[in-house]
Amino acid sequence: MSSTPQRSGQLIPDRLAVIHREMLQLVALAVIAVAAFFLTRAVAINNRESSLRTAAEWYRRGEQELESGRIDDAIAAFRRANVKSRNNKVYSVALARSLTIKGDRDSARAILLTLRESAPEDASINLQLARIARDRQDVTEALRFYHDALYAPWPPDATEARRRVRLELIQFLLTHGQTSDAQSELLAASADSPDDVTHHLELAQLFGAAGDHEGALSQYERALRLAPDNEEALAGAGQAAFHLARYALAQRYLNRTRADGTDVRSTREVVDLILSRDPLAPRIGTAERKHRLTENVAYATQRFAACVAQSPAGSADDLSLQNEAGALAARLKTPQPIDQDIIEAGADSIDRIEHVVVERCGPATPIDRALLLIGRQHGGESR
Amino acid sequence: MSAPATPRQLRLRENQLFLVLAILVGVLAGLSAVLFSVSIEQVSRRLFGLAPSRARLFLIPPMVSVATGILLAKVFPDARGSGVPQTESAYHLAGGQIPARVPIGKFITGVLCIGSGHSMGREGPSVQIGAGLASTIGRWLQVPPQRVRELVPVGAAGALAAAFNTPVAAVLFALEEIIGDMNASLIGSTVVASVASVIVERSILGNEPLFHVPPYRLVHPAELIAYAGLGICGGFVSLLFSKGLLAARRLFRSLPAGSRILQPAIGGLIIGGLLIVSPAVMGVGYEYVDQALNGGLLLKTMLLLCFLKLGATIVSYASGNAGGIFAPSLYIGAMAGGAAGMLVHRFAPFSTADPGAYALVGMGTLFAGIIRAPMTSVFMIFEITQDYQILVPLMVANMLSFVISRRFQAVPLYHALLHQDGIHLPSPATQASPAARTARDLMRTDLVYLDPQMPLNLAIQGITDRRGAYVVGARDQFIAAVTREQLERWHVSAPNDQLGSLVKELPSIHVHPDHPLDIVVDRLSQSEGVLPVVSRTDAHRVEGIVTPDSILVGRDRQRGLGDRVRE
Repeated sequence: MSSTPQRSGQLIPDRLAVIHREMLQLVALAVIAVAAFFLTRAVAINNRESSLRTAAEWYRRGEQELESGRIDDAIAAFRRANVKSRNNKVYSVALARSLTIKGDRDSARAILLTLRESAPEDASINLQLARIARDRQDVTEALRFYHDALYAPWPPDATEARRRVRLELIQFLLTHGQTSDAQSELLAASADSPDDVTHHLELAQLFGAAGDHEGALSQYERALRLAPDNEEALAGAGQAAFHLARYALAQRYLNRTRADGTDVRSTREVVDLILSRDPLAPRIGTAERKHRLTENVAYATQRFAACVAQSPAGSADDLSLQNEAGALAARLKTPQPIDQDIIEAGADSIDRIEHVVVERCGPATPIDRALLLIGRQHGGESR
Repeated sequence: MSAPATPRQLRLRENQLFLVLAILVGVLAGLSAVLFSVSIEQVSRRLFGLAPSRARLFLIPPMVSVATGILLAKVFPDARGSGVPQTESAYHLAGGQIPARVPIGKFITGVLCIGSGHSMGREGPSVQIGAGLASTIGRWLQVPPQRVRELVPVGAAGALAAAFNTPVAAVLFALEEIIGDMNASLIGSTVVASVASVIVERSILGNEPLFHVPPYRLVHPAELIAYAGLGICGGFVSLLFSKGLLAARRLFRSLPAGSRILQPAIGGLIIGGLLIVSPAVMGVGYEYVDQALNGGLLLKTMLLLCFLKLGATIVSYASGNAGGIFAPSLYIGAMAGGAAGMLVHRFAPFSTADPGAYALVGMGTLFAGIIRAPMTSVFMIFEITQDYQILVPLMVANMLSFVISRRFQAVPLYHALLHQDGIHLPSPATQASPAARTARDLMRTDLVYLDPQMPLNLAIQGITDRRGAYVVGARDQFIAAVTREQLERWHVSAPNDQLGSLVKELPSIHVHPDHPLDIVVDRLSQSEGVLPVVSRTDAHRVEGIVTPDSILVGRDRQRGLGDRVRE
């Protein structure tokens, strides 16, 4: 390598010395390279730590800005945190979250999808993606990401957070009319729900919204076992029992509550009416049955007559119903005792008249509602 | 005792040792690039902190530039600017000789300039530092001069590979830009150095691409039209940058020589003002490029940053600070591309990619238009982002930008910057083969100099030499070369005019000593019968003149030499 002139086939006297020098120089260069490597590495590590500290500071500022409602500043801060510490998932998720709040869902989604490539089973990333899909009304994608989030490995201390995600999913399912899926999730949610009034009430409401009043009643009752005077639980249990046509139970709960909301009041009124006007109720005497039936027939006939007068359609069905009601009223006026068949036929007629009245001349009065529910309870609806 | 080594064995051993040397140079160049980059970050963090005040933003660039101005004027005069043209000049014209103070000076001044907020890149200086280290090591090891020269692109490739984490692009850059020949025999050693450098860099910083980019793809074939439009826009923005930079540098160079020490500070003052308007133009600015690539900037912001960065880089560079234009070209390209992408996406949201894809392609177009290394630009963007999908649009846009830039500015920016310094690099088209006759072999060196202040009639009277061709000016203050016929023709119309004012009208046709015979003859035919031969490193120094007679004499001389060799 030296520039010393060489001649063909001839060993130059100082060749060994030259080789020796070159080797020494190369070794020295290698030693310098190794030393430079460790020096550079130390400086780079120090720089990296500084960058991470800076990133953490930007993240902290971003959180503060987010809390103060300054979304743009928060986004800028989170972006800087991300640049300074590229692989920090927390910073990326925070950025995506703030972008979502700002309404820039596409950017947020892009960030999260990139993150998800390296961590497909990350609960927080999947949850953010699910929320973005939810906001974009993309039901399929939202369900996929919600499920991925739910069945991702969660840290042991995040049970409550996971439960919240499930409740969020249930809300989402209910919003989109997927009640059977919502009920399945509710069953899972109730299985891992802590025995706590708030949680039972929350679940009970969701059961109710999903149309599972049995589940709702069960949750309200569990709440009442823990807090017997809880107004919300009493009202909810009363309503659930009412939906289940367990009117006596509903009355018990509703009578215990001091809640006086419109719903509770009207339900209570209807429940009282049902229990006081049901001619087929158990454990009442024949005279009472006759009395109730007479009263119901009189009310239905009067409502029907008023309705026909109000909108005289004059169809053959109207006439037939009128005749049927008249015949029943005449039969009830006789002092003879009435048998079960007549009571059932009477209840059936009242149910049919009430249906016509409510359909044609609604809205239904509390008595109308009570009579219809009595009819439904005893098989009127199936007819 | 071992048998005597044959020349073949010695050559083999020399090649093996050169390979080992290339690895070591690659490692050291890579380490220098990493250290340079990290040092810039540290200095910037210490000078500006997390959220600098307006006063700090305004004052730090000029204050630091006062110090760098003194260093650049008094201690490290070779450390101004990018470092890439200087490296090319050292490779082509100085036999690869780069003094040891150059990499040291470039490191110190580069860190201070870029760290103090000047809008410049770290890659160009890294190239010069790597090349300088390689040259210094070569001389220390007393390798043959040709090997010292060969180490320069090896060191440059190693440094660039580490600076960008782009081993392939670094090799291409060394071949395309530094050597100027894609078929160069040095490809093996540059590859080895580049790989060694990247291994070292990744072992320290990890294998992270320079930018994190979501996967982009060509959404619809018709989108190529939009990318072509971006390429055309990129070409014109590149032109704006190149011409603006050259004009601003010419302006700074026209200021009195005594002001050179203060010029970086003047630039610093302007940069300070710009930083108050937008701190985003500070330094290398890759974090904002990252944001543009990820769709994190608004249209208005990107347009503003595109032009602010363009202006800031021109000021920083033209005022004589130390720093490169790689990073600014990527920055400007990302902003211009991102803005174009946002507009395109607004008109056709479903058949076009996200604006980030356009920012990515925009980076390549500006790089291709400004640096004029189209292959390097394509591979660099590909390696930086590690995204294969965007390659076709990138190639289309880059090529258009390159063509437009070349059409409206024939001389590439790096070469034009050297021209301003009086240095003319040989182009591949004008390079002579080793066996060919060059202007050096054909020129006359016994020159007769005429004083440009002298009236023409006195000049003619004073000429005693009868060979018929003369130089106006002096050896180091060359103005023009004239023939006796020209002088006599002018004498008829303006006998009392000064010679200097008459020759101003002459076209500046000249050759350099390494120009081959065909170019010499071609240019001589365009001249009035005399062709000056000027130095490549100083356009005002005349090495000789070529006339038809001198060509014949040179040919005879060469023929005689050949005959003697044959005998």
